[in-house]
Amino acid sequence: MENKSFLEVKSICKSFGSLKAVNDVSMRIETGEILGLIGPNGSGKSTFINLITAMLKKDSGSVMLDGVDLSSMPAHKVPKNGLARTYQTVRLFKNLTCRENLIIGAIGVGISQKEANKIADELLEEMGLAEKADSFVENLTFSEQRFLEISRALACKPKFVLLDEPAAGLNEEETQHMLDLLKELPAKKHIGILIVDHDMHLIMTLCDKLHVLNYGQTIAEGKPEVVRANPEVVKAYLGSTAE
Amino acid sequence: MAKNRIKNNHGISSKLSTPIMLSVILVLVGYFIWWLNIPFVQDIYTSAAITLVMVLGFQIFNGNSGILSWSYVGFVGIGAFSSAIFSMTPQMKSMQMPEMYPFLVNIHVPFVVALILGAIVAAIIAAVVAWPMMKISDDAGAITQFALLIVIHVILAQWSKVTNGPRTFTLGGQTLTTIWVAMISGVVVLFIAYFFKESSLGLKLRATRDDRYAACSSGIDMVKTRYLSYIFSAAIGGFAGGLYSHYILSINASAFYMTLLFNLLSMAVIGGKMSVSGAFFGTILLTLARQGLRQIEPVLTNMGVNASGSTEIIVAVLMIVFLVFRANGIMDRYELSPSSLKSLFSRKKKAEKKSA
Repeated sequence: MENKSFLEVKSICKSFGSLKAVNDVSMRIETGEILGLIGPNGSGKSTFINLITAMLKKDSGSVMLDGVDLSSMPAHKVPKNGLARTYQTVRLFKNLTCRENLIIGAIGVGISQKEANKIADELLEEMGLAEKADSFVENLTFSEQRFLEISRALACKPKFVLLDEPAAGLNEEETQHMLDLLKELPAKKHIGILIVDHDMHLIMTLCDKLHVLNYGQTIAEGKPEVVRANPEVVKAYLGSTAE
Repeated sequence: MAKNRIKNNHGISSKLSTPIMLSVILVLVGYFIWWLNIPFVQDIYTSAAITLVMVLGFQIFNGNSGILSWSYVGFVGIGAFSSAIFSMTPQMKSMQMPEMYPFLVNIHVPFVVALILGAIVAAIIAAVVAWPMMKISDDAGAITQFALLIVIHVILAQWSKVTNGPRTFTLGGQTLTTIWVAMISGVVVLFIAYFFKESSLGLKLRATRDDRYAACSSGIDMVKTRYLSYIFSAAIGGFAGGLYSHYILSINASAFYMTLLFNLLSMAVIGGKMSVSGAFFGTILLTLARQGLRQIEPVLTNMGVNASGSTEIIVAVLMIVFLVFRANGIMDRYELSPSSLKSLFSRKKKAEKKSA
């Protein structure tokens, strides 16, 4: 039996001038879980993501991963401590091949180049990108680029992965493909996933738990069906599109 | 099924194929030129091989980090002066540079050791000054590089007790950087530049070049990665400077300034600065072009057209044309290798089929 890991965000706060972008938000996620973070535009999701990956410095609070505070370390040390991320606007290394992109993910956290090669080839195979291993990123379709970016996050052997709108820009078929992949990731890779997305279908089918932000504050959390029924959530975010 | 099999092209043999192919070209051309035994042509080859070492050292940081490292030529200068000080005999030094610090006058080591010490001096100076600069990217990064070059240049041009100041620094004695020394150095540095690019540090540096946010969230410490690479690049630059000073035998600070930078930059840009093969072919192409143009200049002048300086104009225009139409140079991101040649030919065949 492998041990479970815990990612715990405790009362994290961040202000920009007088604007409280993230105000006293806490959440907890463990290995095997998929937690969905939703909220209307400007609700503080992006700030929250940047806080827990230490890309932004917090004002107060903490982000504990198995007892280590991620939010007080330099951003580049976060993946090594178990939390990898992707970006809403796919960020890949455009002058490197697909394989090299994944190798970077592994050597970035101190894995040897030989081992990194192996990890990269395995991931390419799993993601169905084996044929494009030596292609540059521009020769990939947009959805393949999204898969490659997720693979890069996985290449550092993280305990948790943070996916920022992984289905944005994908068509229905590709979204389904993404959903199938994400569904099996936690068990297969022994990780927890924190996912931010606007695609309600994806979020509702995929997530074990939801966390809803508005004006930088938590307005609801819990099981998808419970959160969906919460009147405040309906008012703030789902609006008339809620079924 | 073959469709899903990954072509394993990261074996040792394919890793070596690029520097081997480039070295074979360099050595074969060198042998042929030695056999021809025309001093003028041998001189062109020797200086081209030295320039190749300079361009490769430039490529190591500039090409892989994406930061225009103006200061690089300053480190070439530092290597040139310091290796000369190390290799010259005390008598020669006290004769040529009576003002020099006595402790420098007394140093005397063999040529090869002097070359390596020149590289080390350049690396140490880079290590001392570079850390804060490595935090800065883009335009600001290039500007700080420019500023550092000016600092180095002024020191080299004014520190009479070390560099003989604004006067010419004469090494005396015979040319130690022979055609063979230049050729072997070229081969060695080809391998070094290629292995750097493929090394863990080189890969990380290239990642910071392409996207520094993604590099950061892949665990890469950008400042440290750039810092180590910059020191390494400065060391190769210092080594190249030593080759140069022991070839040309009289130097002064202005030899390691804008003209040299422009020369190296044009080779890297036209050849393709992201690729070691690009640095190689850029050096060959620009050396041939410059030599050719220099032969034409006096002919035109004799015909009554004042063409002096036209070589620089043509090279500059060529660089602009490349930046507009093929910004990543001739080689783009590719290296010379059996597989890249194969895909080039198959692409050509496809194009022929299409047109037929």
